[in-house]
Amino acid sequence: MQGGSSGIGYGLKYQARCISDVKADTDHTSFITGTLSLREENEVHLIRLSSGGTELICEGLFSHPNEIWDLSSCPFDQRIFSTVFSTGESYGAAIWQIPELYGQLNSPQLERIASLDAHVGKINCVLWWPSGRHDKLISIDDENLFLWSLDCSKKAAQVQSKESSGMLHYLSGGAWDPHDVNAVAATCESSVQFWDLRTMKKTSAIERAHIRNANYDMKKKHILVTAEDESGIHIWDLRKPKIPVKELPGHTHWTWAVTCNPEYDGLILSAGTDSTVNLWLAPISAGDEPNSEGIAESPTQQADPLLNSYSDYEDSVYGLAWSSREPWIFASLSYDGRVVVESIKPFLSRK
Amino acid sequence: MGTDDVPLDDKAKRMRDLLSSFYSPDPSSTPNAPSKHGTLDAINTTSFDPDQYMNLLVQKSNLEALLKRHVEMAAEIKNLDTDLQMLVYENYNKFISATDSIKRMKSNIVGMEANMGQLLDKIMSVQSRSDGVNTSLFEKREHIEKLHRTRNLLRKVQFIYDLPARLGKCIKSEAYADAVKFYTGAMPIFKAYGDSSFQDCKRASEDAVAIIVKNLQGKLFSDSESIQARAEAAVLLKQLDFPASVREFAEAIRAYRIIFPDSGRQLITLAQDLVINHFETTEQYVKRRISSANLLGVLRTIWADVLLMDEVLHEAVLPDFSLEAAQGAVKKYVASTFTYLLQDISDVLLRVNVSPKEAAEEHPLQVALEASRKAVLQGSMDVLLDFCQFLDDDLGLLVKLRDFIIDWVQEGFQGFLSALDDRFLLLSGRKNSSSPDQGLTEGAHSEKVLAGLVLVLAQLSIFIEQTVIPRITEEIAASFSGGGARGIENGPAFVPGEICRIFRSAGEKLLHHYVNMRTQRVSALLRKRFSTPNWVKHKEPREVHMFVDLFLQELKAIGIEVKQILPQGLLRKHWRSDSNGSTTSSRSNPLRDDKMSRSNTQRARSQLLETHLAKLFKQKVEIFTKVEYTQESVVTTIVKLCLKSLQEFVRLQTFNRSGFQQIQLDIQFLRTPLKEIVEDEAVIDFLLDEVIVAASERCLDPTPLEPPILDRLIQAKLAKLKEQNPITP
Repeated sequence: MQGGSSGIGYGLKYQARCISDVKADTDHTSFITGTLSLREENEVHLIRLSSGGTELICEGLFSHPNEIWDLSSCPFDQRIFSTVFSTGESYGAAIWQIPELYGQLNSPQLERIASLDAHVGKINCVLWWPSGRHDKLISIDDENLFLWSLDCSKKAAQVQSKESSGMLHYLSGGAWDPHDVNAVAATCESSVQFWDLRTMKKTSAIERAHIRNANYDMKKKHILVTAEDESGIHIWDLRKPKIPVKELPGHTHWTWAVTCNPEYDGLILSAGTDSTVNLWLAPISAGDEPNSEGIAESPTQQADPLLNSYSDYEDSVYGLAWSSREPWIFASLSYDGRVVVESIKPFLSRK
Repeated sequence: MGTDDVPLDDKAKRMRDLLSSFYSPDPSSTPNAPSKHGTLDAINTTSFDPDQYMNLLVQKSNLEALLKRHVEMAAEIKNLDTDLQMLVYENYNKFISATDSIKRMKSNIVGMEANMGQLLDKIMSVQSRSDGVNTSLFEKREHIEKLHRTRNLLRKVQFIYDLPARLGKCIKSEAYADAVKFYTGAMPIFKAYGDSSFQDCKRASEDAVAIIVKNLQGKLFSDSESIQARAEAAVLLKQLDFPASVREFAEAIRAYRIIFPDSGRQLITLAQDLVINHFETTEQYVKRRISSANLLGVLRTIWADVLLMDEVLHEAVLPDFSLEAAQGAVKKYVASTFTYLLQDISDVLLRVNVSPKEAAEEHPLQVALEASRKAVLQGSMDVLLDFCQFLDDDLGLLVKLRDFIIDWVQEGFQGFLSALDDRFLLLSGRKNSSSPDQGLTEGAHSEKVLAGLVLVLAQLSIFIEQTVIPRITEEIAASFSGGGARGIENGPAFVPGEICRIFRSAGEKLLHHYVNMRTQRVSALLRKRFSTPNWVKHKEPREVHMFVDLFLQELKAIGIEVKQILPQGLLRKHWRSDSNGSTTSSRSNPLRDDKMSRSNTQRARSQLLETHLAKLFKQKVEIFTKVEYTQESVVTTIVKLCLKSLQEFVRLQTFNRSGFQQIQLDIQFLRTPLKEIVEDEAVIDFLLDEVIVAASERCLDPTPLEPPILDRLIQAKLAKLKEQNPITP
């Protein structure tokens, strides 16, 4: 139960899975999250951390037609975000815009800028390029990877290209390389596939089963962190995709989500179905060759990479987001709809 | 950059440049030189660059120096010109005289041809005459040669036949030197024919020689003899190739030193070489598998020899010298003993891997555990007992090494146990878990083989921590305390606390690894189960789904493994009913019955609310508790993890009413068999309920099956199971 009291809580009405940092909002530390309820009216909440950093304020509350399985904020426009939703029988994905002056409206409605309606199967996620303004979007469903060109002013999204993942490769998610606008990693049942968006071809792969989540290091090129159901967290140097550079034990049950800090080197957050969020310190030094793993193991055993375990959750934690404005703050979301915002400042001094 | 250190290594640099330009295998590399060494010395090299030289000169020197340099250079140029002229002139002279010589040779050679012709004729006639003489004398010469050979042979035979008598005569006259000379001369023949023609002779000679040897030895050891005579005797004995023991060597030394008082140096080297030789052999010997007793025997012999030599050759400090050598040998022995022990243990463990199926034994893992326990404990004790022999021995050499031996043994155990830990991790596959070529089918197979081994290793680690290490510590305290050659600040070499910690954590890791391996297999099963059907279009449930059978089968296999290796846990019935048992059971069913009676629209929201409320009032059930080394704890942990996975898989789907009912049926069926095998029924109830809650949350129309139907389907399944497998309940 350590660190339980330090977090700032915020309750959603229903269960929820996804939360995203509103990166384009440079004046406030804010997050956007949406509910997952099959039979109720779903909501999107825009939450802002008060200037004192002591409470979470609901900035905007919007209704959303269906339960939300994936949500991410546009990195260059704070009013735009994408969702993946399901009616229970079919899936859809859309780009939404929060109306201007939403604070003064009585019941503000989200404006649907574009529907990413080329999908047939189960849609997994919509990706924005994390590093800045880019007029392309990626959406991933079970079997295909779509590249969309998005025109916010004309309110239109068009499929630019599409490629199938190949027989028997069921995609489950992905990550867009912040250092290379043409590189995307897609997770599937038995591997992580790397795609070049110019050719829409697979360039390489990491053969590894049951990867739930992948996240690129924002600071360092070629570094990818993956979370796996049973076997914890692995850090990969993509130039040597055979063996991970580092292994972290992960969670008691599945490790669901993993995300690298946008600012501090080697700080990694992971969320698990054991109702905890773990903060890791696992910097990758230049000498961390995969070959020297055996030798490097003993020193890492001595210095526990686990800085803290936040365990004050009642249910599995699926949603996790660092604030890019205040990179020592992160938001977590457990399945019961509770948002908890924590500061990792007490652990930064240890670095 | 080079300007600062020019005056310092001026000459050296110039030499180096010249040498390198001379030896440089690749002439193309020399052009680099001027840029590297932009100094004024480059004037002598082949790579001299006048422009650069000028620049450098102008930059570095003031006017006065430049002028001075100019004068110097002019003088140098003049000198060089003169030298050049001289050289040309000399060469010209030589050329002229060479031409003269050739002319003279030409005139002299005329008329030589005629003389040569005459000479040839004369030689030819001489040769033909000589051939005539040769042929006429040939036959006689042949005959003479044959006779000569026979005579020689006869003389030799005579010598051999006379040898015993002659030796006897020598003995009488004490002319031992002659006797030895004769005998050694005859030795080759005896060697070749001693077993056939000259058998008697050989025997008689040997008898005589034996007497000689005896006499010589007598002479050697009798103090009344003159030193000279004794030395001679020693030399003669040596010549007779009599097995030279160190004793005689010592005597020889004694004698030798008196004769040649200044030869100490060589003798010391000789003696030391002898000792080195001994120890080199010993170290080779140590590499094989030997016991301390064997090594002790060897050391004892060497030490006795060393002491003997020391008496006569004290300056060689042989004891100290051999102490050093012995140190190396004993240290190597200790190290190799531990290496063999490690090898033995991993051999025993690897056998687990090989024979899980083909072995007819009923409890292969149990047998393996017993065998490996024995290998570790008995092995360690044997090693200690073996080393004790070193300490118990009063051999002077070992007494001096005592402290070292204690340290080595302690260090040895420390190193051995750490190595054992590494070996365990390697065997469990944790170290190469990241190997990329772990194919799915192959991986699954090898994992099945490995899982049992991992469990054995986990339990073995605990055994080492709790039994082996205390025993070793005890033994070491009893027999190997002290030491201290390492110095006090380093503390004792064997740190049982640290090793215990290593094995405790290894045990935990291995146990977790086992749990993980087993859970992963079930997870794969569940993943298939939930990702395959279209749950939104599920048909009405007709029977309990077969994944339940597979799941229970896996658990049964785990139960079999666990029962062989782990102890039974304490009965916890009272604990269970005390804490959360009652709360949970009161929570699940009444609540749900209540819930079902509500209207459809109200239902879902209140359901969620109730779940939250229930959680608030209920103690948070600790799902993820620490795994203990008991059968129940391991099985319970695995079941808990699997049920949690089940819940998570359910949460990712969307169900229609029939899909939800199928889940309800499967979970209801699992309830009884799961409770039978786990130690904490309350948690299992809770987790099973959670699965049903998750399914109802993810369901478009969560109407549960009517209890009578549910019951009938479960009874049908039980009956079917009984039919298939009449013995098991």
